[in-house]
Amino acid sequence: MFDFSVITNNIGLLWDGLLMTLYFTAITILAGLAIGLVIGLIQLSTFRPLVLLGQIYVEFFRNIPLLVTLLWVYYAFPIFAGVNVTKFWAGFIGLSCYVGSFYAEILRAGVQSVDPGQTDAATAIGMSYGQRMRRIILPQAFRKMIPPLAGQSIIQMKNTTLLSMITVPDLLYQASYISSFTYRPMEVYTAVGVIFLIILVPLTFLSRKLEKSGAATK
Amino acid sequence: MTHEPNSAAERAATPGKEVLRLERICLDFGNRSVLRGIDLTVQEGEVVVLIGASGSGKTSLLRCINLLNTPTSGSIVIDDDVIFQQQAGGAARAISNQEVNRIRSKTGMVFQQFNLFPHMTALQNIMEGPVTVKKEAADPVRRKAMDLLRMMGLEQHAEKYPRQLSGGQQQRVAIARAMAMQPKVMLFDEPTSALDPELVGEVMKAMVELARSGMTMVIVTHELGFAFEIADRVVFLDEGLVAEQGPPQEILLHPRHERLKSFVGRFHESADMLRPFLEAKHAETA
Repeated sequence: MFDFSVITNNIGLLWDGLLMTLYFTAITILAGLAIGLVIGLIQLSTFRPLVLLGQIYVEFFRNIPLLVTLLWVYYAFPIFAGVNVTKFWAGFIGLSCYVGSFYAEILRAGVQSVDPGQTDAATAIGMSYGQRMRRIILPQAFRKMIPPLAGQSIIQMKNTTLLSMITVPDLLYQASYISSFTYRPMEVYTAVGVIFLIILVPLTFLSRKLEKSGAATK
Repeated sequence: MTHEPNSAAERAATPGKEVLRLERICLDFGNRSVLRGIDLTVQEGEVVVLIGASGSGKTSLLRCINLLNTPTSGSIVIDDDVIFQQQAGGAARAISNQEVNRIRSKTGMVFQQFNLFPHMTALQNIMEGPVTVKKEAADPVRRKAMDLLRMMGLEQHAEKYPRQLSGGQQQRVAIARAMAMQPKVMLFDEPTSALDPELVGEVMKAMVELARSGMTMVIVTHELGFAFEIADRVVFLDEGLVAEQGPPQEILLHPRHERLKSFVGRFHESADMLRPFLEAKHAETA
């Protein structure tokens, strides 16, 4: 029933798609972490307007379906702003802002879960806000944040498949392209699923391991 | 623990330099007044113990000294530096965060829950302040930290993490951590309340030794026997005010204030309960 020769014959296209997927996963996770750090710290400040701004950002990107965000950034935003946005930039911005909102929440929750006594102790020896965060609070918070960060990053890799909707040639885009001329969608999409499994299952195990080693030093 | 009346009397007799001056400290949480105008001065080398019922404001007052709680009004001077000044309903004296942190590091604080940094070893905990805040070179700081650990009888635990230490050991590391900043005054917030009973003694012993070495100390405690032992002056707080203060003999044995009488009375009751046992023990050993 299955004829996997369509895969071996078009392995080059899938390979290109996989590289695109990995590339977008990596750069949007990095940009998302930067956004998450800024928005997370903003939400932890004591200045009300800033906190509100952070909350608006998080709720905005967290509650709009990623597909809508991507389509909007690619098709609608250029018209309103009168600028030309390539599909790569649209994909990068949409995915980064989206995952950044989740990372911000993870960071905020992680920092808030650190015992307030730690802040007291760090403050009492004369540490500034920056020193407290860098030396005392964030190192403890990051350990607690590893499992949710890993989980969100795994979701992020799967979310990159939505890039195919704005014609970025990622793995899924290549798959639909291959099936359009081979008429073998079953084999092609099965292959895509297997590729994701092969990459993400080891990462899940890695994050479990990190979680355990993090818990040990707690 | 043996009582040495000499040391306490000597220290009290020496008119030292003023290390701490609190004036008219008020603190409100929402519309609840926790402190209602507290004046307190502490001389160099003096050991002041704050007592009072739960909710009387002892811990809040202690946390105001290094601005972990910001008073609503009043003024605080530590070692001739104004760390806080705000008149009731009036203007505040602007003091930069940097300046607050600098003056704050002249106080050392020991907490009920120890609050050691769990991701650092005992030694790293002690070195953190001098290296990160004072930017001192690591090697001399390490030597000094080891000296402090030795003083606390913990040199063999230098490389252990807090979770590998008992509560009493953790609290002694916390005392060493505060001491590493070479503070002018040490603040203790119920340092033995979270400890298992058999570990209380080792922490008290370390504190008594610290007091004998001439350290200026402000201690919040529920252990009146310990207060009697260590204090030069006992301050009784009641409903956010200093109700009575004086030498421990006077405050704890001859209280004047009604509320203090009943507070101390409860302590004497439990001591009376123990007396027959203690006397029996005494007769046995004699």
